[in-house]
Amino acid sequence: MSQLTKQDARFKVPGYLVGPILILVVALIYGSLGSEYFLDPSSIVFNTGRYIEIGLLALALTFVIINGDIDLSVASTLAASAAVLAKLFERNVPILWCCVASIFTGLVLGLINGLIVIKFGLPSLVVTLATLALYRGLAQVMLGDGVVSDYPENFVGFDQRLIIGGNPGLPAPLALFIVSSLFFYYILHRSNYGIKNFMTGSNPSTASFSGISVNRVRLLAFALSGTMAGICAVMITSRLGSTISNVGLGLELLAITAVVLGGTDIFGGRGSVTGTVVALFAIMAVREALVIQDINGQVQDAAVGALLILTVLVPTIRSTFIEKRKRSKRFNQAKSTNMTG
Amino acid sequence: MQLNLNSKASILFRKREFGIFVFILILLLVFGSLEPRFFRSDNMSAILSSVGILMVVGAGQTLVIVTRNIDLSVGSTLGVSAMVMGMIARENQDFPIVGLIVISMVVGGICGLLNGLLVSYGKIPAIIATLGTLAVFRGVVFLVSDNVQIDPNDVPQGIISLSTTSPFRIPWLLIFAFFSITLVWYISSKTLFGKRIYAVGSNPEGAVSRGLSFNKLTIFVFIFVGVLAGLGGVLYTARYATINPADVGRGLEFEVISAVVIGGTNIFGGSGTALGTALGCILIGILSNGLTVVGVSPFWKACATGFLILVAVTIDNLVRKRQEEKFLLAIRNQRVVK
Repeated sequence: MSQLTKQDARFKVPGYLVGPILILVVALIYGSLGSEYFLDPSSIVFNTGRYIEIGLLALALTFVIINGDIDLSVASTLAASAAVLAKLFERNVPILWCCVASIFTGLVLGLINGLIVIKFGLPSLVVTLATLALYRGLAQVMLGDGVVSDYPENFVGFDQRLIIGGNPGLPAPLALFIVSSLFFYYILHRSNYGIKNFMTGSNPSTASFSGISVNRVRLLAFALSGTMAGICAVMITSRLGSTISNVGLGLELLAITAVVLGGTDIFGGRGSVTGTVVALFAIMAVREALVIQDINGQVQDAAVGALLILTVLVPTIRSTFIEKRKRSKRFNQAKSTNMTG
Repeated sequence: MQLNLNSKASILFRKREFGIFVFILILLLVFGSLEPRFFRSDNMSAILSSVGILMVVGAGQTLVIVTRNIDLSVGSTLGVSAMVMGMIARENQDFPIVGLIVISMVVGGICGLLNGLLVSYGKIPAIIATLGTLAVFRGVVFLVSDNVQIDPNDVPQGIISLSTTSPFRIPWLLIFAFFSITLVWYISSKTLFGKRIYAVGSNPEGAVSRGLSFNKLTIFVFIFVGVLAGLGGVLYTARYATINPADVGRGLEFEVISAVVIGGTNIFGGSGTALGTALGCILIGILSNGLTVVGVSPFWKACATGFLILVAVTIDNLVRKRQEEKFLLAIRNQRVVK
C-alpha cells in the first residue's frame, strides 16, 4: 500500500513502468525515423481515436485482474451491447435511448458474469470463456449476417469531434479517456474501494476475515467491466457508423495485453491505472510506428506480443542474475573468512 | 442407504465421462427424433470429421491444463506449421507425404518448445506467455508466407486424401484423432511420467519437493501440444485444402479449451482425462451439426456452446463439492470409530 507509507521525496519511476516507457520512447524514435510527420502533435492526437476503446476496456479490466479474476468476455459484451443498440435503432427508438440501453446491457451482462462466478464459485477464466461464446452468439442471433447503418448525422463521427478546438485540439474520445483514467485512478489508488480491491486480490480469505465483502468487491469489478464494454459499444458504433455481429472481435486479447504490459499481476493483488495508461500508449506508438513503415496489421500484433513477453521476461532474468551474483559473492566471502579464520 | 461403492456399475456411474456420455445420448435422441436424417451415416461421418482437428489439439491441451498451465497459442501454432508445410509442398511438388507431416509436427514442436521455455525457465505465467506467442506466431505466419495464401492446386493430393480416402472406410483424419486421444490416455494412466504430470498439476510445490522437475514436465507438455497442433495443421490442410494466413487456425484456442473444459478437465489443474476431452469434442460437434440439421439458425451455435460450457462446469463443480463433503464426512467418522 503505497499510500499507507510515507512517500519518498525524490521522484522515482516505478519498476513496472520502465518497460512500457522504454517501449514508448523507442517506438516514437523509430516512427519518427520513418516519417517526419509521425511526431506531428495533431496526427498523434487523431490517431488515438482507434485505440481509446481498447484503453477504456483495459481500464476496467485492471480492476477485474487486480481482484484475481479475469474477464475474457469484454469484446463479446461489447458486441451484444452494440447489437442491442442497432436493433433498438431499427425500431425507431431515439438514438439517445439506444445508447442508454446499450450501456445498460453491458452492465447487465457484466453482472451476469460476476453473479455466475460468485454464486457458483466457478473460476472466472472458464465462466467468461463461456460467456465469450454466449454473448457473441447473442449478437449473432440478434443481427444475423445483416448490417445496421444509416445512423443519424449527429450520432456518427464521435471521434472526429473536438472538445477543445484548434491545432492539435482535443478530440472527444481522448478527452473521455483522460477523464475516465483520472476517475479510475482516484477509485483505485485513492478510495476505499481501491484498497479493498488490492486486498481481495492479494489474499481473498484474509480480506474476508478483515471484514471486506470480497464477493461484492468482485461483483462490482465485473459490473464495471461490463458497463465499460457498453460505453465502448456506443463509441465504436459511432466511430464506424455501422454495426455487424463480429464488431470488436479479438479486442479482449489486446485489452488484456495492455493491462499486463502495464505491470498488473495476472494473479491479482498488484497493478495500477498509470501502468495501464502508459502501456496503452506504448502499444499505440508501436503499432503506429509500424503502420508508418507499411507493415501488416498481424505483424504489428506480433510485435506487441513479443514486447509483452519481453517486459515480463527481462525483470525475471535480471533478478536471477542478481541473485546468482549475490550468492557467489556470499560464497566467496565465506570461503575467504574460512581461509583466514 | 447402503451402496456397494466398489461394484463395477457404480464406479461407471460415478465417472465424470459417464455424465457427458448420457448427455450425448440425450442430444442424439432429441436431434434424431426431430429429424431422422440426422442418423444417416454420411451425417455421422461429417460430425466426426469436423471434430477430428479439435480432438487432436484437445488431447494435447488436456495435458497442458492438467499441469495448471494453459496454451492460448494452439491456433497460431497450427497456422505456422500448416503454412510452412504448405510452402514446402508448393515449392517441390513430389515431396513425400510422410516428410511433410513430420515437418509440420517438428515446426509445431519448436513453437511448443518456445512456449515451454518461457513458462518454465522464464517463469512467465502460461496465460501471459501464450497470449504473447498467440500474436507472435500469427505474425510469423504472415512473415513466412508474405501474406500469400496456399491454393488448393498447390496442396499435394496425398495430403487432401487424408480426409477422404481411408483404410477400413475410416478417414485418416479420424485415425489420427483416435491415435492422439489414445496416446494421451496411455501417457496419463499407464506411465509413471503421466502420474508425475498429474502430481505437478494437483500440487506443484509438493511435487517439486518430492523431487519432480517442474521445468522438464512443463516443457514436455508444451512441446507435446505443439507437436499435436502441428499434426492438426496437416489435418486442417487435408480438410480445407486452402491455407489462408489470416484464417488458418484462428480462434481454435477457444474452441479447444471449451472442449477440454466440457470434458471435465479442471481449469486449475490436477484432473482431467483424454476420454473426457474426446467426448467433449464430440458433444460440441453433435450440437453444432444437430442444430443445423434440425433447422435452427446457425447463429445460435455460439450461444449453445457458451451455455454448454456453463452447464458442464456448474454440474462439475456441484459434484466435486459433494464428493469433498463425503470425503470429509468419511474421515470424521473414521476418527470417531477410533
